[in-house]
Amino acid sequence: MTKETPKTAVKSPLQQLLNFLSSMQLGIILLLLLAVISVFATLKENETAITSIYHSWWYLGMMAFTALNLLLCTARRIKPVTKLAFHPHKLTSPAALRQMPHHYELKMEKVTAEAALAQAEAAFKKNGLQVEVTAGQQGRVLFAERGKIGYFGSLVTHLSLLVILLGAMYGSLTGFEARNGGLAGDHFHVEQGDFRVDIKDVKMEQEADPTVRPRVFSELVITRDDQPLSEGTVAINQPLRFNGNTIYHTTFRYVSDVVATDLATGKEQQLKLWDIDQLQLDEEGKVILHVMQFFPNFSMHGGGVPYSKNYLPENPVLAGLLIENNKAVRNVFLILNEPEVIKTSTGEIELLMTGFENAAVFTITRNLGRPILFTGAVLLILGLYLSFFTFPRRFWAVFAQESNSLIIGGRSRNRLLLEQELEQINQEISKGGEARV
Amino acid sequence: MSSYIQVSPMGLFWENTFFNLALVTYLFATLCYVAHLLGKKQLGRFASYILRVSFLLHTGFIVTRALNVQRVPFVGSFEFGNMFVWATVLVYLWTEWRMKEQYYAVGAFVTPLAMLYLGYLTVVPRLFPAIRISRAHTQLAPVLQNNWLTVHVSASIFGYAGFTLAFAAAIMWLLKVNLKADHLITRNLPQSKTLEEYMYRGAAFGFLFQSVMIITGAIWADISWGRYWGWDPKEMWALITWFVYAVYLHARFTRGWTGLRTIALVMIGWVCMVFTWVGVAWLLTGLHSFG
Repeated sequence: MTKETPKTAVKSPLQQLLNFLSSMQLGIILLLLLAVISVFATLKENETAITSIYHSWWYLGMMAFTALNLLLCTARRIKPVTKLAFHPHKLTSPAALRQMPHHYELKMEKVTAEAALAQAEAAFKKNGLQVEVTAGQQGRVLFAERGKIGYFGSLVTHLSLLVILLGAMYGSLTGFEARNGGLAGDHFHVEQGDFRVDIKDVKMEQEADPTVRPRVFSELVITRDDQPLSEGTVAINQPLRFNGNTIYHTTFRYVSDVVATDLATGKEQQLKLWDIDQLQLDEEGKVILHVMQFFPNFSMHGGGVPYSKNYLPENPVLAGLLIENNKAVRNVFLILNEPEVIKTSTGEIELLMTGFENAAVFTITRNLGRPILFTGAVLLILGLYLSFFTFPRRFWAVFAQESNSLIIGGRSRNRLLLEQELEQINQEISKGGEARV
Repeated sequence: MSSYIQVSPMGLFWENTFFNLALVTYLFATLCYVAHLLGKKQLGRFASYILRVSFLLHTGFIVTRALNVQRVPFVGSFEFGNMFVWATVLVYLWTEWRMKEQYYAVGAFVTPLAMLYLGYLTVVPRLFPAIRISRAHTQLAPVLQNNWLTVHVSASIFGYAGFTLAFAAAIMWLLKVNLKADHLITRNLPQSKTLEEYMYRGAAFGFLFQSVMIITGAIWADISWGRYWGWDPKEMWALITWFVYAVYLHARFTRGWTGLRTIALVMIGWVCMVFTWVGVAWLLTGLHSFG
């Protein structure tokens, strides 16, 4: 046999770049960098971290760079992994087996090589291994293996991460996120999705314990060009899905019905006031009621701080702040059906809260990447399971004529399992009575 | 806001009794494992039996707690912490059985970690009143009433359990390598290669479940809030922990890293895990402030 002269191939700059981009070292460095930056980001206020770090071009760029590394690394590994799984080295020699970190040498002086290998084959099979017999230069070689699929674990895992990234990208490129809401009877148009949402009903259900935030159920009808698209109830953990769009319950609000009467003219104005609304009480706009908060069961702490005892509507009060000439003058508490008169430079205004309703706030999204993301998630779990819980292992057995011994060696990533399995094989062969270590 | 549940005196009695008995027997098992490590070799098997009894008592506590709160008890630091310790002991006992009870010395490092976690739930709040670990029986907030919560939290307790076992093996490796072979502490420890394998298996087990935890959390967030990922500090720290273990597994699996570099990564990963559990709750705020 002639020895091949090693080639000193000079790699092209493109090849060198590809090698660098697909290298494991780069992957490790990028993962560590992402981890360190994320640690610092979590120390910032969350909204600041989102805008200045997580959504910054360089953070997203680093994520994209990691994805590229993953893609190239995965592509580069397909061929060697397939070769490793389907074209194993089935032949070996006594000397090579003795070099293996995990091997046994069993003296078998009273049996022939054939009988010894037959015993090994039976022991392999008893351990659930698939056995092949190959004729080598130094006699027959038994090759046995199990868990071949495990070789593909890392490939499936890497592929799944790419699928997840692809799903997220596709979802964000083809999707949208909007926020809207209203009272029963209201409707709104979702421009991005080109559909109309009619809020048929908004119903509040108190929890058994009234201090727990109640649940709100909204009956919605979705239409496009007066053609029905979908209808259903939206609540916490109960979104409405249709045509790739989803409507989620985000929160609820109290909306107060207030009648403002100019006591001088008797002119009435029907108002629906939401929290943080501003109500102009005079013509010049110098007197403003800044609506602060609605309390379903109003009470006051010792220090004069208002709060709601629970969510039961037993003492509904709308609290506001009266502002004159840009200065806060006093608090205003509108108690249900109890008029409150406010003096302005031009006269007196009577405010009367006559009732209140619940409004629902929704988040409307379209995410067409969801099925891709789910596929990626399932693949990820499968890939990790294959990587770490299916242990591909290979064993070889040869009979060394010069020492009259059966040599068995094995390879696996799981050293402990390999040792245990080799021990079991050894015990199985030793049962024959001829073998001794 | 969560509301309180009225628990019968009998229910409360059994819950407290099981918990206190589990605490005492865990401590006893820890002492026996440590004694085994320090030379009383005959105590190894005894320690294992005691730990199994402790585990059953702890299971009794979890069952009575579940009956008392009328749900799976893993919401809030106290319930989650207990489930986490329970899972850690379960995974350790399983490895003890898998390895044919060869390495009782590992128990001398895993059980003190379980005691450390239990100490955080019981002793630390007494020493530092600012750290409040409520043992109150509360209902689930509506947003938490979702089956994905069960999968999400179950995955996280087993993930944390795997990382704890890996961390215990890392400490043992450091002692084994840095102390003399005939040292009182190291002479009963498994070989350093076995410890590395143990560490690797623990980290891989934890990594699988940490991945399931992140995925199911994302699915749950999608159902509840309409988005998979909110860059919440708890989410980010779970991801940081995942990154660290991903680096460790890649380094060992593909690059063949062994020794101090991998030990350092496993230890950093464990610190990240503990910070995700404890640090985020007390130092950082976010959507996961419910526990």
